[in-house]
Order: sequence, then structure tokens, then C-alpha cells
Amino acid sequence: MITAGVDVGAKTVKIVVLRDREVVATAKDLSGFDQAKVASELLAQALEKANVTQGDLAGICSTGAGRKIVSEATHSVTEVSAGAKGSLFINPDVRTVIDVGAEEGRAIRCTEKGKVEDFAVNEKCAAGSGAFTESMARALEVDVAELGKLSLGSDASVPMNAQCAVFAESEVVSLLHAETPKQDISKAIHDAIASRITSMARRIGLNKEVLVIGGVALNVGFIRSLNEAIEMDVIVADDPEFVNALGAALIAAERAN
Amino acid sequence: MFSKFEEWYRDRHDYARAWKEKSSGKVFGCFCSYVPEEILVAANILPVRVLGSHEPQDVTEPHLFGMFCPFCRDVLAQGLKGRYEYLDGITLAQSCIHLRQAYRSWEQHVDQPFSYYLPHPMSVQSPAAVPYLREELENYKKAVEEFTGSKITNDDLDRGIRILNENREAMHELYKHRIGPEPKLSGKEAMWVTVSSTWIDKEEHTAEIRRVLKLIEEREMDRECGAKLMFVGSENDDIEFINMVESVGATVVVDDHCTGTRYFWNSTADDMNDRIEAIAKRYVERPACPSKDHPVRTRFPHILKLAKDFDVQGVILIQQKFCDPHEADMVPLRKYLEENDIPCLFLEFDVTVPLGPFRIRVEAFLEMVGEEDLF
Ligand code: SF4
Repeated sequence: MITAGVDVGAKTVKIVVLRDREVVATAKDLSGFDQAKVASELLAQALEKANVTQGDLAGICSTGAGRKIVSEATHSVTEVSAGAKGSLFINPDVRTVIDVGAEEGRAIRCTEKGKVEDFAVNEKCAAGSGAFTESMARALEVDVAELGKLSLGSDASVPMNAQCAVFAESEVVSLLHAETPKQDISKAIHDAIASRITSMARRIGLNKEVLVIGGVALNVGFIRSLNEAIEMDVIVADDPEFVNALGAALIAAERAN
Repeated sequence: MFSKFEEWYRDRHDYARAWKEKSSGKVFGCFCSYVPEEILVAANILPVRVLGSHEPQDVTEPHLFGMFCPFCRDVLAQGLKGRYEYLDGITLAQSCIHLRQAYRSWEQHVDQPFSYYLPHPMSVQSPAAVPYLREELENYKKAVEEFTGSKITNDDLDRGIRILNENREAMHELYKHRIGPEPKLSGKEAMWVTVSSTWIDKEEHTAEIRRVLKLIEEREMDRECGAKLMFVGSENDDIEFINMVESVGATVVVDDHCTGTRYFWNSTADDMNDRIEAIAKRYVERPACPSKDHPVRTRFPHILKLAKDFDVQGVILIQQKFCDPHEADMVPLRKYLEENDIPCLFLEFDVTVPLGPFRIRVEAFLEMVGEEDLF
């Protein structure tokens, strides 16, 4: 059986095509202004890569903030259910999923079957999300991809109050003026996000194994700070950005059955 | 079927002005659902609960500290903007300090001929609560009599008690139609009814409920019921929000809000010689606001019973940002409900709520409580 999962996120669209529960193609692009068009085109690309046509699909499930605009979708679920489903597929021992995307951070607690028991979403501010690392990288004048690596060079613990992404930026500027080394500031930034995400995850209870998904999982600095903050080693998903699309494709397969 | 209530909900000020003109009676603004409306109705006064308008505003900043709840700010904004300019008087029944502050600022900055701060026992579980409130209600009655220039007799009080009780009874009957696999009205419609009952002439309101009750049995809802939910928490009259929740596959069938069941759930005894004592007992014994619910938390079993009686699949816990009374209950209440197999979703409310992000959370919650087949 062939199905597809389409994850229309705040910043990027991700697609996973599954054949008999095996990933046969993925695709990713920026969401842009016309998310519906991007999603359609990207779906066509992914199907071409997988060498199948839309008619071969048993179902298409959409997820993500823009999931309602995917006209091809036969089903639609929230990123919470998709995240839990995809995570359990990757590692059946996972009981807590931490999903940090461009504009939202989430923690999901699930059963061994992948049923969501509880979840929490970061409140209102971008301080616990990818957008935060981007604005911080700008303030430090480093590439966002470099920001994480930079922090690995520091063991300092500089307190920073990241309640608000905008105020945090001005804190970074003050730290720069105080001639704090960039790597220490970078560490402070990652500690701040990790602490925010951790307190959110503690609200629902942290159970082993903890899997980190979403684009920010690729940031090594964040992962180190997160391990320290939650006092256990998290697992980082391979291709963390595609886990919600994978979960959606799995749900499409289950629903088609 | 519910369009009259919708209109009343929407055009509350037009209604009160028209009522005043028609009856040449007086209109009092009530801060908090603990104001003893029986006494006002006995004095031919129209009690109207003062609520906010869910619009961003910039007039309360000089008067209220930033960490007061958005509801009390919204209430004060209405006064400062002159939306309740027709009021002849205002009364605050003491419950929480946020609303008291809004009331005090209103009293200072908005002109009205009558203002009364009604002390109300915080320890409603104390045996002294009823005698204490009885005395305070006597004083309040006197103040109202002085203001209107006419005595409130026992007959007047009997009428006030009867009118209030009849409305409460009709509300109960209507709520019964929210029980069962196919509720006969949506949560939004129920919100129009319940919230408007806090400012519409009670006899007129009761008559409209009675009219609806005659037709409701035959009613076919044009929507799927979906998951049955309960709302619990701080003041909530947000139609946009309940509409959103019900548009993603749910029906809200019951609530525990001061603008909902807490307002009308219990009646005033109509067979006591001492009418004022009967009224005092009613307000002491009603389902408690968390600000008064100590040392024993009587709310919890009451909420659980409502959830069971109305057979809800989940509870949305709603808290006005910075609302301390409800904040103090949220953690243990959530634990209590979850231990009793009722899943909860917690949302923090502001003057306007972020519908987009809230929708995703509500949808995820519905997937969690409802769709077993997903997993
Ligand atoms: S009880 Fe809560 S919502 Fe109501 S006025 Fe007080 S602080 Fe505000």
C-alpha cells in the first residue's frame, strides 16, 4: 500500500511517501505565501521521485499548521497526533516526544501504542522555537547553522531570561557590549530555549525514551543544553523534520485499512 | 430558535435603555454573580451583570496594575468608555480583589447616583456565614430603600424570590436537553441564553425559555454532536471561542462558570419566614467561586458530578490570565479530574483569545479524547 503524509509547517512543507510502511521518497521546500501551491507541487515531485502517481495512493494525510489547505488530502490530523505516531514508528520505546519547529515547541506524552496521553504547547511567544534561534543568530551575526556548533565550545553558564524573544535579543546585545565571548552567549541562548522547553515538558511528565523531532533537533547546541536541562540523554530522530509527515503517512495507511 | 437570546446577548445596552424607558424603573450594574438580585427585583430594579466586550482597549492602564485579570480590566474599560451610562447604581459583592479594584476605580471615575460595596463572607463554610451575610443584606436592603424612596416589603421579597427561582428552574429544564447522545442545543446557544439571563428582565427571559422549551423536543440539530465537552473556570462569555471549539467536532454540554451554571444552579427557599435569611442562605450555599471555596474544596466533587451527569468526554479548563482564585485550583483540579478518567485541556484566556493556536490545541485534544480508531 502506498500513502503520503504532507506536513505544512509555518516555515517549510515536508512530504513523506510510504510503501508498505517503508519510506520511498521525501521532499521539502519553503512554504512561501501560497502554501497550497507549494504543497501540491511538492507532492507531485515526491510522487515522481517514488515513481508513482496520485492514483496509486491509498490515502494522503495532511498535518501541520496549514493542513487544512491541502486539497489533495483524504485525511487530516494535528501535528500532535502525527508527531506521536511518527515517533513511535521510529522508536517503539519512545514515551515523550519533544517537537521544536520554526514557530512552536511542543511536548507530547504517549502510550506504547502511540496514543497521545497529554501534550503541551509553548505559550504565545517564539522564545521556545526555531524562530528564536534565528533571531539570536542575527543578533550575534553568525549563520544559524553555526550557532549550535559555536555553543559547544563553551562551558560557561550565563543566565539569560528568555521569556520573550524580543527582550532576549536586547539581552544578547548587552552581553555583546559586555564583551562576553560569542560562544558563551550562544551557549546561554541554547540553555534558555532548552530550559523553556524542559519546563513545558515537565508539565506533562518526562518519561523515557525522549525523542526530539522538528527542525531545531538538528541544532547540536540545543541538544546538548536539552540533555543537561532534562538530566537524561534524549534521542535525536534521523531526519527530524520529516517525522510529522511520516506520522501522517502512517495514519493515512491505517485509515485506508 | 435562539435568535432572541442572541439578540439580547449582542444588544445588551439597547435592551437596558429600552427597558428603562418602558418601565421608568432603575437599572443597577452588578459586579460579580454574588449580588443578591432578589432584593433588586423586589425593588423593581433591573439587575444587569457588567461584563467586558472582548475588544482591545487602552483606557484602564492608569487604574489597574498589569497583573490584574483581563476580565476585570475589560469590565472597567466598559465603564470608562461610557458604555453603561444608563446605570443608576452599581453594586459589588465581594469575591476577588481584582474585580474589587475594577469596581473601586469605576466608582471613582464613572458618575452614577448609587454605589454599594457589599461585604460578602469569604468563608462560606463557616457557621457564621449565613448570619453575617443576613446582616449585610439587611443593610443593603436599607440602602436600596433609601435610594428608591420606597420600602421593600415581604411581599416584594417574595416576588423577587419567585421571579429569580422561576428563571433558575427554566434554565435547569433547558440544560436537561443538553444531556444524552444528541443534545438539543449547542454550547454557543446555551451561552447566549445563560449569559443574557444575567441582564435581561428575568420574567421576560423566563417566558422566552418557556417558549423554546415547547419546541425543543422536536428539534433536529443540523450538526453532528462530536465529542461532548465541559468548560470549567474563570468568567467566560466568549462566543467566538465556543464557536471555534464546536466547529472542529465537539459540543459543549455543560460548564462551571460564574456566567454559567454557578449563576443559576441553586434556588432560594420560598417557605422561610425570614426572607433575607433565605436569600443569604442561597448565596452562601450556591456552587462556590474558588475565592470562597475553602478550607474544603467543595467545587471538585460538584464539577465531577456535573461532568458525569452530562456524560462529558473531556474538560477544557479556562483561566483568565492572572486570575488567582482559579489559578489556585487549576493544578489540583486537573489532577482530580484526570484521576477520575476525565482528560483536561488547559487554556489561558485574555480579552481576546488567539483562535488559531487554540484551534490546533483543541483539535489535538479532541483527537486525544475521541478518536480511538486513530491508534
Ligand atoms: S475571579 Fe478571576 S476572572 Fe473573576 S474577576 Fe476575579 S480574577 Fe478575574
